[in-house]
Amino acid sequence: MIEFLSPVWPDRADARPPKKRPASLEGVSVALVDDNLDIPFTTHLETLMTTRYGAKVRRLVKPSGTAPSPAALIADAAEADVAVVGIGL
Amino acid sequence: MNLISERVTADDYDEAIELFYDRHWTDGLPVVLPTPKRVQALIDYVKREPQESLGAIPPKGGQATIEKLAINAVMGGCRPEHFPVVIAAIEAMLDPAHNLNGVLQTTHMCVSLVIVNGPIARALGINSRDGVFGNGYRGNGAIGRGVRLALWNLGGAVPWDTDKATMSHPGEYAFCIAEEEEDNPWRPLHVERGCPEGSSAVTVFACEGPHSTFCYGTPEEMLHVLTDTMCALGNNNLHVLGQTLVVLNPLNAEEFAKRGWSKDDVRRYLWEHARRPIGDVRACGVVHEQFRKMERDAGRYPLRWDLDNPTTRVPITARPEDIHIAIAGGRSYFAAVLPGWGGFGGFAVTRRIP
Repeated sequence: MIEFLSPVWPDRADARPPKKRPASLEGVSVALVDDNLDIPFTTHLETLMTTRYGAKVRRLVKPSGTAPSPAALIADAAEADVAVVGIGL
Repeated sequence: MNLISERVTADDYDEAIELFYDRHWTDGLPVVLPTPKRVQALIDYVKREPQESLGAIPPKGGQATIEKLAINAVMGGCRPEHFPVVIAAIEAMLDPAHNLNGVLQTTHMCVSLVIVNGPIARALGINSRDGVFGNGYRGNGAIGRGVRLALWNLGGAVPWDTDKATMSHPGEYAFCIAEEEEDNPWRPLHVERGCPEGSSAVTVFACEGPHSTFCYGTPEEMLHVLTDTMCALGNNNLHVLGQTLVVLNPLNAEEFAKRGWSKDDVRRYLWEHARRPIGDVRACGVVHEQFRKMERDAGRYPLRWDLDNPTTRVPITARPEDIHIAIAGGRSYFAAVLPGWGGFGGFAVTRRIP
């Protein structure tokens, strides 16, 4: 028998469970978090979600595309039913 | 022993090795098993409280406790005497200037290089000479991999999840060198960056892999080649500034010094001449323009270059000081250029090793 130690950090016991994924976007509030690198793309995405799928979209802008959103912005986005974010600039 | 990590058991060595793969606790290579005895030896060596944390490693926020760092360092092959270097490297990477969160998740291929300076580099046999970015030396391999495994297991940016690197490079397994200080006419990198003479330190800098640079001859001939390599259109630096690293071999440095060039003379020449006409830069396309605009809007791209003037030659960094120069490698024909991520981060940070 060999004994060794786990190299990973344990999952938080108090981690907030993810929200239930809605069946459709009809009437759903969406936080669309953007870094304004490509505003036409984000506007197009907003239009599609609003006109084709009936979502209620609110745009939030993070100050940098290469750093995490501030805590207040994350808390704001968490008020919505769904949040759309990007990673990996 | 005050070790609180979960204890895991396996019937034999083979089963243990496979368990690390099954749980995604390794980077793709087998590991040294982090037994409590091995981990304790590293902690005893540095005489630090096991539950002391250097901070949360992004993006998933696992705490870089001395215990967790020791576990990952053992897995990478570190002996106790390697562990202070691993700790200092993680401390440096957690400095906000390095923007580790971005470095670990960007689509760019940058990886945080660890450069070790001072007596500890020689004592630990960390290679600074022929084949410096290659294999064959335990210090480079074990420290480099111990650091990477800590980022892997505590930060949790993995390529099928939030590590979005389009290409990445082999430095993701281990990326650690020493600077050559004996065969070097100039002050060592860490002393330039504020550490006392005779001290030991690490400098981390997020960069691409080394670009070979056929660099031999007079100072003017060497600079001609270096400047061309540094301002390739594919580099982020040319579009969004940031920092870059030039590694000259000891013979290069000797040739410069014999002709009266200081390291700062070389740095300034490189900054003034590693430039491209704005027309070349514009021809790269609209996306590159958008990135530059984003950097200007964020206040990270100085306005002192008139980008609407067709005679403007665009620099690769905002200031000469953002060109880092280190001495390493064999006495031969080749230098290396390691472009950075750009103005987004990955900037060089230096930390003393106690």
